[in-house]
Amino acid sequence: MRSPLVKFAAVCTVLALTAAACGSDKKSSTAGSTGTTVKATAGSTGGSTTATGGAAKDFGGAKVLITGPERDDPSAGAINAVLQTWGKTRGLDITYAGDADWEANINTQVQGGNPPDIGIFPQPGKLAEFARAKSIKPLADNVTASIKKFWSPDYSNYANVDGVQYGVPVKTDLKSLVWYQPDKFKAKGYKVPTTFDEFTALVKKMAADGGPKPLCVGIESGTATGWPFTDWTEEMVLRQDGGDVYNQWVEHKISFNDPKIVKAMDTVLGLWSKDNVFASGGNIAATNFGDNAQALFDGKCYMHRQASFFSGFFPKGTKFADGSAGAVDVFYFPDINGDKPVLTAGTYAAGFNDKAATMAVLEYMSTADYAQKRQAEQTKLLNGGLSGFLSAAIGQDPSVYQPLEQGFLKILSESKLSRFDGSDQMPAAVGAGTFWTLGTSAVNGDLTAQKAADQIEASWPK
Amino acid sequence: MSEFTPVPTDPGPVRLEGGRPSKGIGARIYGRIARIKGPILWLIVILWSLPTFGLLASSFRSRDAQRASGWWNIFTGLNHTTLDNYRTVLNSKGTASLTDSLLNSFAIAIPATIIPIAMASFAAYAFAWIDFRGRKWLFILTVSLLAIPLQIALIPLLQLFVSGAHLSLPFIHKTITLIPDFNLAGTTTAVWLTHAGFALPFAIFLLHNYISGLPKDLFEAARIDGADHFTIFWRLVLPLSVPVLAAFAIFQFMWTWNDYLVANTMVGSNPDAVPTTIRIANLAGDFGRNEFLLPSAAFVQAFVPILVFFILQRYFVRGLLAGSVKG
Amino acid sequence: MHKVLSTLLTVLVAVGASALIWVAANMVFNQVRHQWRRFTAMAFAAVGFLVGVLLSGNRITKNSQGGFLSWVWLPLLLAVIFAAIGVVLESTSDTRRRQGVGVSSGVLLGVGVGLLVRKQYHPAIDIVALLGWTVGGAALVGAVNLVRKRSLVTGALVGAAVGSILGGWGSAAIGAGSAGGAMVATLIPAVLAGTRLGFTNNPNLQARARIEQRSRGVIFLTPAMLFIFITLIVPTIRTIYLSFLDKSSEAFVAFDNYVNTFSDRVSWDASHWTNMFTSRLFIIGAIVLAIAVVVGVVSKRRTGRAVEIGNPTVGPLLVGFFLVAFAVFTSFRGTIVNNLWWVVTVVFAATAMGLAIAVLADNAKNEKVAKSLIFMPLAISLVGASVIWRFMYVPRDTSTEQTGTLNALWVGLGRLSTGSGLPTIFVGVLVGCILLGLIVYMSRALARSQPTRTIVPGIGFVLLAWFFVRYTGLIGDGVGGFDITASGQVVPRAISFVQESPFNNFWLMVILIWIQTGFAMVILSAAIKAVPGELLEAARVDGGTPSQIFWRITLPQIGTTIGVVVTTLIVLVMKVFDIVKVVTNGNFGTQVLANDMFAQAFQFGNTGRGAALAVILFVSVLPVMYYNIRRMQKGN
Repeated sequence: MRSPLVKFAAVCTVLALTAAACGSDKKSSTAGSTGTTVKATAGSTGGSTTATGGAAKDFGGAKVLITGPERDDPSAGAINAVLQTWGKTRGLDITYAGDADWEANINTQVQGGNPPDIGIFPQPGKLAEFARAKSIKPLADNVTASIKKFWSPDYSNYANVDGVQYGVPVKTDLKSLVWYQPDKFKAKGYKVPTTFDEFTALVKKMAADGGPKPLCVGIESGTATGWPFTDWTEEMVLRQDGGDVYNQWVEHKISFNDPKIVKAMDTVLGLWSKDNVFASGGNIAATNFGDNAQALFDGKCYMHRQASFFSGFFPKGTKFADGSAGAVDVFYFPDINGDKPVLTAGTYAAGFNDKAATMAVLEYMSTADYAQKRQAEQTKLLNGGLSGFLSAAIGQDPSVYQPLEQGFLKILSESKLSRFDGSDQMPAAVGAGTFWTLGTSAVNGDLTAQKAADQIEASWPK
Repeated sequence: MSEFTPVPTDPGPVRLEGGRPSKGIGARIYGRIARIKGPILWLIVILWSLPTFGLLASSFRSRDAQRASGWWNIFTGLNHTTLDNYRTVLNSKGTASLTDSLLNSFAIAIPATIIPIAMASFAAYAFAWIDFRGRKWLFILTVSLLAIPLQIALIPLLQLFVSGAHLSLPFIHKTITLIPDFNLAGTTTAVWLTHAGFALPFAIFLLHNYISGLPKDLFEAARIDGADHFTIFWRLVLPLSVPVLAAFAIFQFMWTWNDYLVANTMVGSNPDAVPTTIRIANLAGDFGRNEFLLPSAAFVQAFVPILVFFILQRYFVRGLLAGSVKG
Repeated sequence: MHKVLSTLLTVLVAVGASALIWVAANMVFNQVRHQWRRFTAMAFAAVGFLVGVLLSGNRITKNSQGGFLSWVWLPLLLAVIFAAIGVVLESTSDTRRRQGVGVSSGVLLGVGVGLLVRKQYHPAIDIVALLGWTVGGAALVGAVNLVRKRSLVTGALVGAAVGSILGGWGSAAIGAGSAGGAMVATLIPAVLAGTRLGFTNNPNLQARARIEQRSRGVIFLTPAMLFIFITLIVPTIRTIYLSFLDKSSEAFVAFDNYVNTFSDRVSWDASHWTNMFTSRLFIIGAIVLAIAVVVGVVSKRRTGRAVEIGNPTVGPLLVGFFLVAFAVFTSFRGTIVNNLWWVVTVVFAATAMGLAIAVLADNAKNEKVAKSLIFMPLAISLVGASVIWRFMYVPRDTSTEQTGTLNALWVGLGRLSTGSGLPTIFVGVLVGCILLGLIVYMSRALARSQPTRTIVPGIGFVLLAWFFVRYTGLIGDGVGGFDITASGQVVPRAISFVQESPFNNFWLMVILIWIQTGFAMVILSAAIKAVPGELLEAARVDGGTPSQIFWRITLPQIGTTIGVVVTTLIVLVMKVFDIVKVVTNGNFGTQVLANDMFAQAFQFGNTGRGAALAVILFVSVLPVMYYNIRRMQKGN
């Protein structure tokens, strides 16, 4: 009866011996790679001294891993292509990996002790949290110097925590845009509004004229349903009350149910009345925000306020800003006080360690060269389509951008006041929680703006 | 066992002898249902496959078609169909090519299926047929671990894979290394090790239920022949448990193949080790811009598990046990 | 290809080595009964080898850092020495002689190993600590043994040996001492352990059988238990600990996290519970339950049983129960309520459907195809499933075409029932004919004084009649998705299935039912196939109808398996996470415990609250597990 045991044992022995034999091979190869790591570290320590001196230094194949939420092929491909090309000149082996669930994952990785070298934060609030917990490292002097050179403090300040710069701005989304079809406007004799009063008057006029509705609004976005409402509210706070009140609101120095905020919400809800909006009344919350592109394109409405990335949602073959029939263009979402405020979002790269190689990559990512190369690469990957990428870095060659995107850049450069998306700076429980859900309830008419604001205020973590 | 059945049952004594058994109204109703078994089955099957079929139809429709009309329009307008979605999915590069990520998925799912089956069948056999003290309580403990939400284990396990396990002894202030750092962070090994651990309570539960139900005489006969536990396990229990092993293998393969959470945590930052689930989730892009690729991607991803199901299905056969009792 | 090979290698090394160890352990213990000497030699050799691995693996001994062979010679040498000691020890049963062997081998090994310790490891012996630990250890283990009614001396010896290691090595400054110190620190524990060894006896046959039996339990369980300990028990203990700490795991807050969880309106909101009694669901449910009771009383008079499978009380009972349950769940709101609702609905539906399909498909034509199609949802990843159900549920503005299947049907029905064209009339007539048919059928049954036969068609009649009346506009305005504006205009209206609380919860459950039915089917189908064919054949020969065979033979036979399925599903549904995360992320009143836990711990940075939720989840499933296991063990 012992035979199966012996047979099994024999098989296992052979298996294990083969494995062990091969395993020892593997060990030697590991030893080899350890060797390179040691060399690389040696190289990079050397690098830190010279890098501050300003001379380009070879890092001897040091690896730098970057992760972030941007993950589709063109974005991730462009980031990788640009950084790897640059990395080769400096002896750096750079990899970018996108992660659909980055914001939750990075917490696990940091707590588990396995963060990447560089993380790309979509939310300054999260970056500040990590900075205060000392999970990310302050930027080296050469990096901050580079940021000063290429970025207006309006953008870089959001990654400045208690006076120390932690993050490098790497991407900008411009939110204060209204998408429209110029030839439809021309046909009806409508003019692009330049003040908010003109805008509301235009909406009124369009509604009174019958036919297509003035606005396309849809705020359904799966698990994030409601975020377009938060954008609108932020735009209104910024326009009605200015940048200082906006900051106080975001930092919770004034309460969420402050009359000013409630007024802004009411303005939005007023604009979204049944007469004004395509997507009949209660269905705003059920209309997917991406579907607005098709509706606008089909002429169901005249205008849609959405960020710069929205170009990717229009049907195949849509023409942008080239004056042709049916082409789609944007105008600046008009202001009230003449200070031309823009609402922006964007991403910030920060280092989880302060190795010289990490800092060198961060320094490069802050430059205009990186931004324009990424833009060019991404356009190439999309066969000349609109990339959806935008950067407010100073000194880029505008020719890498297409006419529509050059329009974005112009709006950015003309604005005197720029504020980062407030819901991304608020605590996640509000900014990615109650502000969305209770905002949706208000849009549905289940709650008044006042009640919604009261409940959001109550949900603010103490 | 009636407590576990969804409908209160009272099997009662098997009153079949005596020619004409008493026929209740219910029996007649169910008898009638039994006659139209086939149609009912296929009605359910069609209902169940409808969503999947919708997905299949959508996978052949272009982005604009998916946005503009329902999937059933594929019947009226075949001119909208396209293979572009599949082409894009199969050729997409992004952070890792699809072939690489498929290989990673295999590297995760295969060991994550085989290893827990081995360990769990040992343990299930021990719980069922080896007498030792504390057997009952150990079994209860093991099975109640089923209830642990696996999210809580992610951080401690990641720490283990990143830096090994170290125990600092109180009073004498020395640290003992229990498990050295094997450099597993960000590898597929870390993923399947995690899966193997998480799968055990369920595997033991399922296999124990089956193995403990094997006829006792079988074991007694073998013992009398002088077989030791290993021989009994290897010669009797394993061959007889093939259906349940196949069933578990199917599920475990499915879960590990389709797992996103564990893989995302354990390999998260290593593009060389990402399985297809992560690859596909990334395809959708920011704000779901490329969501139209997901139907075709889902079918590329589901192809392997369905194949596994077809292959292993033939092990669900009747009479495996009966034959061996006689022989 | 390089990567594939290295992955393959890792797996092979791990699996091969573990299997080898496992089989070797089995082989060693195969010798216990009849080859005690061989067993002793092997077991001692194994222990010696392990000691050697520990010593040279940690590079404590000389020559242990010169490559593979120098690493392995000490373990091999020790294995041989230990085996020799084992054989010598086994050769005599005389206690005094055995003690001699034990002590002298302790001295031998102590001196030998002491000489081999590398200079960097020489401990600076702290005599007080050494003595203190040794005496302390002896006292502790000795006392334990006294309590357990075992020998005081042997316990004290073991305790002293362990204590002397801790005292000699643990509490000394390593590397600051002399060779003599190392000698003392190895000699003392070795001699103590050797003396303890001398107290053992060669076991008789009965004792050996016991050793063999117990060792098998350990060998068969160790691999699984090791994995479970690392991957589940350690994290659980850590979570319990974290649940008593604050947000960032810094301060101890006792039960605050639990109190907050239960007092939070998000987890438990009973403020609208009185709505329950006015809800239509509740009223209809109560009526149906009342009917069931009446029918039960009637059939008790006829068959002696109030409730039996196949008896028409069961249907109304279940329907009534679920209607009332839904009324309760939609009035009490919150995370915990949602979880209960999920468990009740999904577990019942998935098990019942799985069983039905398994039975229907058993031996049916094209069984494999049917089962594979039902199984398909399991094979599709969650990312795919979320898209699928988007295509089922998505609502669109009604001025455009619906892209969601259900809304297309619903709005289509609305258009149909408010329209006046040919299709509208056709459907109306069709439903009317079916109603007439049912009336004829029921009246025939009544005429033959078989009132119970009208119950099932009766329920169908009521439902269909309600539909008919609404559809034709006799009462209300038709069925389907539409609204009538103040001006009397008919506007189609789509349903936002995933947003309209509280029934959006149910639409999420449908997704899980759709997936898990395949699971229940596979397991139950395997169990049905395992029912001995002889049993079924005998019943058939005795004239049992198919339904009798199912209810009286198959079902009792697969009872435990149904138990397994139900238990697994309860646990699985209790932990439901991904569907909610992907579809709503807990918004619109669909939050469940596991997703809340994930959000708290990983998104909102509230580790304490997240841990508390995990513990609540775990504890709430325990009674089910315990009850179920008790049942199973009684069953055996």
